[in-house]
Amino acid sequence: MPEDQRLSYDAFLALAEAVGVDVSGRHGEELFPIVQNVLSGLDALRDIDTAGAEPDMAFVVESKDASAERGQDSAGS
Amino acid sequence: MSAGQLSRLYQAGKVSPVEVVDAHLARINATEPVLNSFTTLLPEEAQAAARRAESEIQAGKFRGPLHGIPVGLKDLYNTAGVRTTSGSRIFDNFVPGEDCTVAARLLQAGAILLGKLNMHPLAYGPTGENSDYGHMHNPWDPEVVAGGSSGGSGSAVAAGQCTIATGSDTGGSIRIPAALCGIVGFKPTYGLVSKHGLTPLSWSLDHPGPMTRTVEDAALAMNAIAGHDARDPASARADIPDYTNGLTGDIRGLRVGVPQEFFEAPLDPQVERAVRAAIDVLADRGAAVTEVSFPMFGQSDPISTAIIMAEAAAYYRDLLSTDADKMYPPVRLRLEAGLFISAADYLRAQQARSMFNEQARRLLEQVDLLAGPTEPVTAPKLLSNSVQAGERKVGTVTALTQYTRAYNITGFPAVSVPCGFDESGLPIGLHLAGRPFDDATVLRAAHAYEQATDWGQQRPPV
Repeated sequence: MPEDQRLSYDAFLALAEAVGVDVSGRHGEELFPIVQNVLSGLDALRDIDTAGAEPDMAFVVESKDASAERGQDSAGS
Repeated sequence: MSAGQLSRLYQAGKVSPVEVVDAHLARINATEPVLNSFTTLLPEEAQAAARRAESEIQAGKFRGPLHGIPVGLKDLYNTAGVRTTSGSRIFDNFVPGEDCTVAARLLQAGAILLGKLNMHPLAYGPTGENSDYGHMHNPWDPEVVAGGSSGGSGSAVAAGQCTIATGSDTGGSIRIPAALCGIVGFKPTYGLVSKHGLTPLSWSLDHPGPMTRTVEDAALAMNAIAGHDARDPASARADIPDYTNGLTGDIRGLRVGVPQEFFEAPLDPQVERAVRAAIDVLADRGAAVTEVSFPMFGQSDPISTAIIMAEAAAYYRDLLSTDADKMYPPVRLRLEAGLFISAADYLRAQQARSMFNEQARRLLEQVDLLAGPTEPVTAPKLLSNSVQAGERKVGTVTALTQYTRAYNITGFPAVSVPCGFDESGLPIGLHLAGRPFDDATVLRAAHAYEQATDWGQQRPPV
């Protein structure tokens, strides 16, 4: 991401308030470059053409009757 | 000695669980000041359990190959009546009321719990650095990391402090310390081993699994812990074979693909030489080795990063609001940064994940296994921010998860098995992955490789 398109400090402060992160003092100065890097890294995702691809919720591998059995302990614990 | 060896000696009456547990406790006493593998030790409980196991075995009530085997559990596996810290002082006094499913199954199989194993705080890091309970140290060189997040598990098994350990793997946390400590680390197919009672990091990427000195021990552990659990919403219904059945050493005709992209990424030449030599061994044993292409491999970092960071931030959001100042600072920063990822970006990562998975599945229609390095480098010095991988300098976290995170995205079974040492005497791991629920083939190939070489029989100097 070009330098001038990276997250500005003012935008960071506004986002931090919105998500409820305390960025007062030195902590905010430490967090800011990390958030900048994380958000810049997401550009690589936006470069992928995901048209037509549904989100893969692999953690929902529900198979037949699993929900009915939930709550029972198969481990004997 | 491996669990398989010990079990055979128990059955022959040549050694007793009491002697074995005492020997392990002595080993822990001798090495723990250097390694710091444990957060909690249970010597009296372990000795009492060993006496019970000895009586049962002498009375002919042998429960199976894990009966009387000393194990350690990563300290995010809930254990009834034994504190479970998740590697953070925030949970210093958390004592679960019941065992997690894996602990319950291991204990039911007769395993003896020696203690809880140190880990990267909240399982959120690949190095095994921890300011709350002390850093974990690598038995091959205490100045370098044991790896993480299951670092105590890696160092304990490598140093002979316990025979079998458990780890959990969200971006490589079983395979990374296994490779760096020179042991076997097996990440089963997603959903094959229950996550019930484990502290989550990223629900859709977390995999529990065994860390052992031999592939046979990983198979024995899988026989005890794999299988459906209605208390884990992600638990799969799959047929559970005897994972030791395939450990014949025969891999003739097995098709092994070597993605060219693995060797275009930053990679230490010493590691590359060892891994290519290991792949040659597979070919010598009759595997059909071919080069393949996995174009989306390079996208595994942004896909995995967005998913882990968003899911971990969601899980720890409440804790951040109350106890952020008590968290290990690098973990706190990573968790807070995850709160800045939008829902749209998280779902875009999940979209990209489906494309990634589809490509990986197609690849595994051409071949039975994928092979490559587990790590691009050997264990770095403690608290290093970057590593030199060949001609490229790379951030430590990025480097250590470079190859492992792909199989957390796909959920495929993957193993790290020792395949050599660098010129400093630090271990190198061969990484093998297979089709979902074809865990037995992954173990079969790793075992055949292990039997053809003696890397796994080397012991660290500590």
